[in-house]
Amino acid sequence: MWNRVRHSIRWCLPLLALASAASLGAQQGTGTITGTVVERGSSRPIEAAQVTVVGTRLGAAVNGQGAFSIRGVPLGAHKVRAQFIGFEPVEQAVTLTASGATVAFQLTRTAYALSGVVVTATGEEKRRSVGTAMATMDTMSIARTAASNPQQLLAAASTGVSVLANSGQPGAGATLRLRGVNSVSQGNNPLIYIDGVRVFNGNGPVATGGGQQSSPLNDISPDDIDHIEIVKGPSATTLYGTEASGGVIQIFTKQGKGGGQQWTASITSGFNFQGHVGSKDDETGMWFNKCRGPLNVNGNGVKFEDPSCPASGSWLSNGPIERISVNVRGGSTGGTTYYVGGNWDDEKGTLPRSGLHNRGLRVNLGFIPAKSFNLTINSSLAQNASQGFADGNSAGGAGLNISRGTNSNYKGTGCVDATATCVNNGDLFRSDVLNTTVHFITGATLTYQPTEHFSNRLAVGYDNNNAEVNYVVPFANLRLPLGAMWQTLWHRQMITADLSSTYRRALSDAWSTSSSVGAQVFDSRLYSTSLETDNFSGPGYPTLVSGSTRLINDVNSQRVINAGFFGQEMIGWRDILFVTAGVRIDGNSAFGKSFGLQTYPKISASYVISDESFWPRQYVSSLKLRAAVGSSGKAPGAFDAVRTWDPVAAENGKPAVAPNQLGNADLGPERSREIELGFDLAALDGRINLAFTHFQQQTQDALIPVIQAPSMGFSSSQLMNVGTLDNAGNEITLSGELIRRDNVKLSAKVGMTTLNSNAVNVGGQTLTIFTNGRTYVQAGYPVPSYMGKRVTNPDAIAAPVYEAFGYIGSVFATRTYNPGITLQLYKKVTVEALGEWQLGGHNLNATGYQNANLRVWRPCFAAQAALTKAAAGDLSELGSFTAMERARCTINTAERDYSLWVEKSDFFKLRSISATIDLPARYLRGARNASLTIAGRNLFTKTDYTGFDPESADKTDNTFGRRDYYTFGPYKTFIMTLRVGF
Amino acid sequence: MTNTSRFHIMRGAAALASTVLLATACEMAVTNPGPIPDAALNTTLAVPAIVNGMSGDLSLGLGGIVLRSGLASGELTAAGNFADEGFFYTGTFTGLNANTDWANMQRARWTSESGLERMKTVLGSAFETNGDTPRAYLYAGFANRLLGEMTCTAVIDGGPAQSDSVYFQRADSLFTRAYTLATARSNTSVANAALAGRASIRAWLGNWTGAVADAALVPNNFLFNAIYGIGTSRENLYMAEQTITRREVTVWGTYWATQSKLDPRTPWDTVKTGSTLTKGQDGKTIFFRQMKYLALGSSVPLVKGAEMLVLRAEYALRSGDIAGMTTLLNTARAQYTGLAVLTAPTTTAAAWTLLQRERGAVLWLEARSLWDMRRWNAEGTSTFLTGRNKCVPVSDNEYASNANLRK
Repeated sequence: MWNRVRHSIRWCLPLLALASAASLGAQQGTGTITGTVVERGSSRPIEAAQVTVVGTRLGAAVNGQGAFSIRGVPLGAHKVRAQFIGFEPVEQAVTLTASGATVAFQLTRTAYALSGVVVTATGEEKRRSVGTAMATMDTMSIARTAASNPQQLLAAASTGVSVLANSGQPGAGATLRLRGVNSVSQGNNPLIYIDGVRVFNGNGPVATGGGQQSSPLNDISPDDIDHIEIVKGPSATTLYGTEASGGVIQIFTKQGKGGGQQWTASITSGFNFQGHVGSKDDETGMWFNKCRGPLNVNGNGVKFEDPSCPASGSWLSNGPIERISVNVRGGSTGGTTYYVGGNWDDEKGTLPRSGLHNRGLRVNLGFIPAKSFNLTINSSLAQNASQGFADGNSAGGAGLNISRGTNSNYKGTGCVDATATCVNNGDLFRSDVLNTTVHFITGATLTYQPTEHFSNRLAVGYDNNNAEVNYVVPFANLRLPLGAMWQTLWHRQMITADLSSTYRRALSDAWSTSSSVGAQVFDSRLYSTSLETDNFSGPGYPTLVSGSTRLINDVNSQRVINAGFFGQEMIGWRDILFVTAGVRIDGNSAFGKSFGLQTYPKISASYVISDESFWPRQYVSSLKLRAAVGSSGKAPGAFDAVRTWDPVAAENGKPAVAPNQLGNADLGPERSREIELGFDLAALDGRINLAFTHFQQQTQDALIPVIQAPSMGFSSSQLMNVGTLDNAGNEITLSGELIRRDNVKLSAKVGMTTLNSNAVNVGGQTLTIFTNGRTYVQAGYPVPSYMGKRVTNPDAIAAPVYEAFGYIGSVFATRTYNPGITLQLYKKVTVEALGEWQLGGHNLNATGYQNANLRVWRPCFAAQAALTKAAAGDLSELGSFTAMERARCTINTAERDYSLWVEKSDFFKLRSISATIDLPARYLRGARNASLTIAGRNLFTKTDYTGFDPESADKTDNTFGRRDYYTFGPYKTFIMTLRVGF
Repeated sequence: MTNTSRFHIMRGAAALASTVLLATACEMAVTNPGPIPDAALNTTLAVPAIVNGMSGDLSLGLGGIVLRSGLASGELTAAGNFADEGFFYTGTFTGLNANTDWANMQRARWTSESGLERMKTVLGSAFETNGDTPRAYLYAGFANRLLGEMTCTAVIDGGPAQSDSVYFQRADSLFTRAYTLATARSNTSVANAALAGRASIRAWLGNWTGAVADAALVPNNFLFNAIYGIGTSRENLYMAEQTITRREVTVWGTYWATQSKLDPRTPWDTVKTGSTLTKGQDGKTIFFRQMKYLALGSSVPLVKGAEMLVLRAEYALRSGDIAGMTTLLNTARAQYTGLAVLTAPTTTAAAWTLLQRERGAVLWLEARSLWDMRRWNAEGTSTFLTGRNKCVPVSDNEYASNANLRK
């Protein structure tokens, strides 16, 4: 692996393309298909329904009167399909002549799970034939949220989806999980596909001092997103291959359309705000909400004064938001189509000098180069810049210093009260955490459908992420007087080639078959450099050569290739029963020598029992039963298999070597197998929908970082395939239209997810995930768990009784509830609210742990005063304090422990609430439509967690565990958006 | 099926087959420049880096335990927020708190001992005459001495628990080889360091006669250091980082804070913000900065002539020769500037007090004091460690991963 690659993957790509090349036909005469689409029974127009000419990219959306028109359709016989979410799709045959053709559709309401198509690894499949649960977010629900990025869109969007915001640092990425965790060491991020092209699914570099990572996923503008499909478990992601066991998120951006040019412009204004920081028992909000006044005093009665505290008396302020988005879509029917979108976002955070500025451009082009061929080329460029503050476990951090009151590292001058400790926390905001990213994604998808039955798809993509992260502590900083600067340059590339072919045909009136084969190659590359310079000569904005000490802290240059192919066969019976079997075979350059190709099989069935003649449809109008078993996997790191030594310096700069990793030649991927059972039910004419899914995952040969005996020299852990992890859960979504009248529609839904992870075997050891986070994986307990010193009598009014090491709780939530409600009035006003309860999880409030010891944790002041008196023999004030309060607020240094500050992180958050008013277009000259949306995110939070926020976690600590170590919490957002179509 | 559709299917299938073939034929190699594969070190050109690595790992192993054993033995007071340091200071540290130091000290031993084996293979007959070989033996000796003095139990290469004296026995052999080969190559510095190292561990093995004989051969002004640097953070001295960059430990509250801060062997100073004494990182403990290591690249003595003189003084005391002890202590003090001449104590108890103070001063913050306290406590001449942990236990990670160990 140390030899540079002699043959690049690059030559493979054009060959891959050439391999499916075929002759292009010539254009012929065209005509126009017109028609209507209405609901069967009520004859109400189905606005926004999609009508397409099967086997082509030709199509149109239905207007408010239920009419559509598709121009440029080649003359001759065609099948035309009408479809819309919540309705059974219908196809009709037409013969188009030069004078045109007309077709009228009547669509029948059906269960959501039976309508439309979804995109799988093999291409588009009818939703009714899919044997696993899939969730979809559509354009309209995306437009109504106040989400500024895809991760916010996904929060509470579906059962089984967990998004934890991590921080209020501008640009900070969230922790995204589908169905919890099934890997200890290999990450649990879902794979991300954008318009069929796989992109890097991890996070950007961590800024030294900043404590957070940006997420390249968030470089996609929500305004450009048409819909999102969420594929949750290994049984559904088998054909995506190694690395797909964490699920798959597919984002489809808006495409051009034949017909007239349509412009959409939106302008958003609003603000971010913080609300109260931390425990409600601390009225100063850890001195963020109030940094001046009589409460500036520590637990020992020592006052402090901060002359740099803003005039408002608070470090917090509203951060204005401005967003502008313009897009245009159009093209010639039967020819080139286009979608061009641009966005410009500027918003400030809630702490001084923080904010972000994003710019994005997307160009999606569609071509029909010849009969039977479609070509789409989708490209996006995002350029983001965020300015933050040092945060988390950083000596210059905002949370660390402001919340420490008298103990801030920023001691200063200028105080009026000579008896007070003089701090100058304003100085910490002179340091910058700057994150600049440039993200370019381009992909081309060529589909070739020579016959109605046979389709081929070739997708090639290139994902290029660049990030420059700087933490600059300027000269004359109160904490580091000579200043310092850290810089990380990070470059991630992913090259994708993906080919699949599907042959569908009817074997008889009852039987049908669909055969698919495909192959993929993914080439992932990382180049990064971490640099540092210390001790500047004088003032002025520094560069990397401004300091007298210059260090190269890390250099990374890696390339990993994953290639595989799959085959799948689906047998259909009367369009009621579908059985699908498939297998994926993968090779990965990271595997140890003893492992060759990996095989991941799957089988699934979908049975639309309600279409049987015996089914009493008057009670339950549709019911689909589904079952699936499938495997997926995760590969170890590229170089985990080999024994290596680190080149280091010793003896003051002389070349030396030091043990790096032991190596394990037998290393292979871990395999997650999932059994999924469920049903999708619709009753009362589709007004009630119920979806239930039970899943049971087992990860075998789990890659566990096994501690090596330190006396053997290699003290770092070595990955070994020794573990077994279980992860089971249920997902229930109940939705219904409570009122369905011409002028009033009220619908509600509630999603419920339960997760129950369990370490069955982790190689006979208690795995330390993060010592100071008290995070472990141990057989018999959730993955991962908080463990450590615990109080066995927490609620007793007594001295705490300790167990030296015991289970405290699951790190991640075990139950999630997502209630939502939508009210539509007069077809013009839509009010929507979506909430989220996350229950059963915990977070380590390391801020409380540290600050209690420093006597600056206000909720402990009374208990510590009582404990101090008790230590002097006066027990009179101890009577009102529980054992847990006494343990956490202990004045005995030897008694304290991080684990005592593991708290329940249960919370309810109002994730989004919005009101959208469709404005009469006549009031806007030339406008096609217009709407005004007033929306808020996370406006209301209820929690008993006492740290910064139950979602807070310092990303520098660990990627698997969570620790709120002075991590400033996520903020709330209120916006107003005017959207106008021309 | 029509002929046309068959043609299309065949064409598509051929295209797919070609693609799969090409995809699997693509170069699947990966790149990761940086880490060095184990086998690549099997060359004579790598020997200097291997031996430098032994030195680096010894410095790393010593760097952390200098601070934490200082806390455990009363040389320092905890003044920060680090949990492990708190437990060392209170003398209640466990295998959990020992994970880092145990691993670093064991790695220092393993890299030098396994490096010697690799050098034998790579160098062949040139092994004994190679200029780096005496250094390698020397580092292996010091790594074993460090483990012997700091830890309660010997564990070698994933083996079972053994008496801590096993480390000293191994060090004896390693120092002897270092001395022999260095002498043959006229490498005086390494030879003297080996003699000094062997002198100390021979004393701990009860061979005081041999110890004194070795010690007497070491020049009074001799000094051999563990080397640190500022070029990379791995080379930084942890003690300096925690007392210069941060304020995690303080001299305040120790015996040494009651002594003159101008003693060149135990220098410390107050730190003030304006007129107020600065507090440690915990915000409540007064911070007196140690002034022995003022830079991240400051060296830590491994052996020195003054230590040899104090060792000989201790033997004199053990032999009942208080006057001889005092003479040797004064010779040791003469190696420093500004120290007054001592007068001989009149009682054995007073002599032990004097000797322990002088040895403590000479070896202050060099990761030697915990062992001294431990052996003196066992002999009844010091009570400091009574009721406290006396040595670093086998780490939890070693217990968790070593099948030959069972709690």
